[in-house]
Amino acid sequence: MSARMFVAYFGSEDGILGATRAVREAGFEIHDVYTPYAVHGMDEAMGQRPSRITWVCFFAGAFGLAVALALQIWTSAVDWPLNVGGKPHNSFPAFIPVAFELTVLFGGLTTVAALFLRSRLKPRMSNAHVLPRVTDDRFALALVVEGHAFDADRAEAICAAHGVVETDFVEVSK
Amino acid sequence: MKEAERRLGPMSLGVRNVLVVLVVAGVAVFGVTLFQSPTAAWSSLLVAAFYFLTIALGAIAFLALTYITKAGWSSVVKRVPEAMSTFLPVGAGLTLTLLLGIHSLYHWSHPDAVAHDAILTAKAGYLNAPFFAGRMVVVLGLWLLFGWLFRRNSLRQDADAAVHHTRRNVALAAGYLFLFAFTFSVAGIDWLMSLEPHWFSTIFGIYNLAGLLLGGFASIAVVTILLRRAGYLPNVNENHLHDLGKLTFAMSVFWAYIWISQYMLIWYSNLPEETTYYLRRTEGGWAFLFYFNVVINWVVPFVVLLPRPGKRSEANLLRVSLAVLGGRFLDIYLMVAPANSTEHGGVGIVDVTTFLGVGALFVLIVYRALARRSLIPRGDPYLIEGLHHKQ
Repeated sequence: MSARMFVAYFGSEDGILGATRAVREAGFEIHDVYTPYAVHGMDEAMGQRPSRITWVCFFAGAFGLAVALALQIWTSAVDWPLNVGGKPHNSFPAFIPVAFELTVLFGGLTTVAALFLRSRLKPRMSNAHVLPRVTDDRFALALVVEGHAFDADRAEAICAAHGVVETDFVEVSK
Repeated sequence: MKEAERRLGPMSLGVRNVLVVLVVAGVAVFGVTLFQSPTAAWSSLLVAAFYFLTIALGAIAFLALTYITKAGWSSVVKRVPEAMSTFLPVGAGLTLTLLLGIHSLYHWSHPDAVAHDAILTAKAGYLNAPFFAGRMVVVLGLWLLFGWLFRRNSLRQDADAAVHHTRRNVALAAGYLFLFAFTFSVAGIDWLMSLEPHWFSTIFGIYNLAGLLLGGFASIAVVTILLRRAGYLPNVNENHLHDLGKLTFAMSVFWAYIWISQYMLIWYSNLPEETTYYLRRTEGGWAFLFYFNVVINWVVPFVVLLPRPGKRSEANLLRVSLAVLGGRFLDIYLMVAPANSTEHGGVGIVDVTTFLGVGALFVLIVYRALARRSLIPRGDPYLIEGLHHKQ
């Protein structure tokens, strides 16, 4: 599955940051930005919403906590009460380590799984990169062309103002 | 950058007078109590001295940790912990003063009591007054030396911007963190755990280290935010506050982890010689303070600082850090006060006045150190990275 994109290549971090912000403010739809390394401030320049993965982590952790407490209270106080060291069957301090561990386990595994699912990462995935040099010394900005009236001249002009090296129309896999 | 933004002006006379009055009142009430109830007086000094000494030590630990991890973001705030570390000589002096009250505080310091006590006789090789004083002098001396070196190298860098000052501090930090783990364990065991010489906990050193880091990071956040509100430290933005909040959050969780580790193992094994410590603290009026300690040092910071905006909001971080600093007092107070007290809970007048007195001294000293030097470490090679810090 691929789509036609307008791709502008830049030689510097400042260029791509400025151009990304400018095209977004001009109303263009950004497909993605490809950089050789993580560029600080790019999330904000692309206008990305805060990640929702923190909520996945929070609720999965809370679920793990509930499961751990329910399991321990049910097994040790309800289903099969055992006298351990003369302590009450329902002894909260004894349940804390397992509750803590299951909170971390559920939270951690679910967060990783959610990340893989959402970004469609799976085993034996082929390398989808088609843009040259973006893992080396080029910063590429890909704009969506299809689906609405795309003003190529205007996009060229904005990118030129931020020191674009070259522009191109390419098929980028989604 | 304007000179006014780099330099802290002199303290307003009104504030200064209030602080001086607090110091004088603290000394006066301490003096009077010393004759009426020496144990209460020395206990209050131990709590106050340990509280502010560990905040200064927490500041040095912050510097050492950021040096050894080659952190860039902390360069814009590092004058704050450096200034806080200048309280160390006074804190060390107050701690040494406790040697005068050794017989009021430490049961093991009475030879006749030791002679009739098999456990204390067995521990006398370690718990005796000369060795105790010797250890105190050595650990305080080491901390003073390293604290002074870190700040001196950093201030020298303002003049010549030479990278070797940073390299030297990185090397010092490696040695210091190693030494500090041992020396602070000794301090915690000597000064606090030996208040109840029959009782022991092998996790006591790290428990106090967790509290020290929590209090240290929270107070760095408080001082930084107060300076920022007054118009100084203009380069500190929500990204730097986010990091201070993360450190405070992490140490709060770490402290709670150690708290429950100590409590749960003693609760589980239920051995009389270990449970005495918790039995005394969960009886009468102490019980409320005992559980409230966990709420204010862990539940509050955990809930409030967990979301990302919670750490990036200045007002929010200030409120939580102040709550944690209150909790830090409670934590130390609960280690000290029940040990020798026949009372069933509560905080006495002398505890409050001594704490405020030492606290006022702390503010005066730290303010003076902040005002004497540029608030921006101009020669720090990490300054540029700190200025552009984003997350």
